[in-house]
Amino acid sequence: MTDKVTFWYGCNVVRHGDIIHSAITLLEAVGVEVTPAGGAGYCCGTSKDANLRAAEGMGRRTVEKFNAHGTEQVVSWCPSCYRHMNAFMGEYTDARFQLSSFAQILHARRDVLAAKVTHRIERKVMLHKHFGFHEVDVNPLVEDLLRLIPGVELVATDVSSPGHMCSALSRVPASLKEATRAVCDTAISAHVDTVATVFHSCQRLLCALEGSEPFKVVNYVNLLTEAMGLPSQDDYKDWKLAGSEAAVRAKVGDARIAAMGEKLFRESILPELLRPPSK
Amino acid sequence: MTEKAATLRAHLDVFIDDTLSRCTRCGKCFEACPMTRYSDGLTGADPKNVVSGVLDWLKQTPGNAESVAWLKVCTQSSRCVEACPEGINAMKMIRVGQMSAMGSLGLSGKPALSGRDAKDFFRVINAFSETQMTPEEIERWQR
Repeated sequence: MTDKVTFWYGCNVVRHGDIIHSAITLLEAVGVEVTPAGGAGYCCGTSKDANLRAAEGMGRRTVEKFNAHGTEQVVSWCPSCYRHMNAFMGEYTDARFQLSSFAQILHARRDVLAAKVTHRIERKVMLHKHFGFHEVDVNPLVEDLLRLIPGVELVATDVSSPGHMCSALSRVPASLKEATRAVCDTAISAHVDTVATVFHSCQRLLCALEGSEPFKVVNYVNLLTEAMGLPSQDDYKDWKLAGSEAAVRAKVGDARIAAMGEKLFRESILPELLRPPSK
Repeated sequence: MTEKAATLRAHLDVFIDDTLSRCTRCGKCFEACPMTRYSDGLTGADPKNVVSGVLDWLKQTPGNAESVAWLKVCTQSSRCVEACPEGINAMKMIRVGQMSAMGSLGLSGKPALSGRDAKDFFRVINAFSETQMTPEEIERWQR
């Protein structure tokens, strides 16, 4: 693997700046020089199946920008981006880089990482798993990484949900509800205090469980950086747990609401933040 | 060596031709799907019939009701990929079937599937970005 990579974090993960920053911290900690890239300007176009012209334009633009970076490797955080690059974008573009998944890179350098994650964290952890990311068997990689953390007791469970991450289940609400309930039931019966998520949409859709369930929901990269002595702040979870419009507004703050626009906040952001977890 | 497709649509046409030529309609992809139990429209469905309907969508012909029901509940679980004895990426087959049912491949008439993403999708992405990243990070990482 090259030491210089483009870290493609994706679109929807921007709700979780803590995840993006922790992931970059971890890559740098294992000796990788990182060029981050993400947000709408690097969208893969996977959400544009109803408009193939737009999908192709977005995919082509993103590949061209990656080519211009000149790195030999693009490391994808998001399994949807990874899948879309592999199955579609790479089939009609001249992608001059190799694609890998974030957990693969970190796992390949876990010996280096082990020397950095030295702060003890007393947590009993269950990994929240999906079985749909067939391109990369990510769950065992993440379990290995979590085992590096001193003090973490990783509880093995056989609960694994369909889809590659929770957002994939949103189109079938009954399945998301069932999967979320399974996480709660398993975590409670296993007496874990932490459910570790692998991907951002699972963190997004599960984090508010903390308001009613006896466990924390933390993305695994934040557990690893915590073990490096670098705790992170999950703003999105804080907002989701606020519980009322007034509390959300107070936590997000007038300046940020004004910057995004009151109409957008009221019509799109606020309903998302007030929506309880499906269970 | 096969030449790379020049456009997304050209690639899809190659994929469709390959899938139609190799799929035996055995139905194992459908049988392996963990999502079928979430659709009343798939109760007792004949796997071969459902797959035939999906292939109709690939041929840009409206598929049967069961195929639409299956397209609707796909959550990209990948079980179908592992199940296909011919090595077809059945998950991609479903995805392309969805594109066809949305009208993206040129099928006229009312789409059987709605595929529009939220109208505010990128505005929401940009709004959250501004709460989570510094202006410098947005400028360097997202432009």
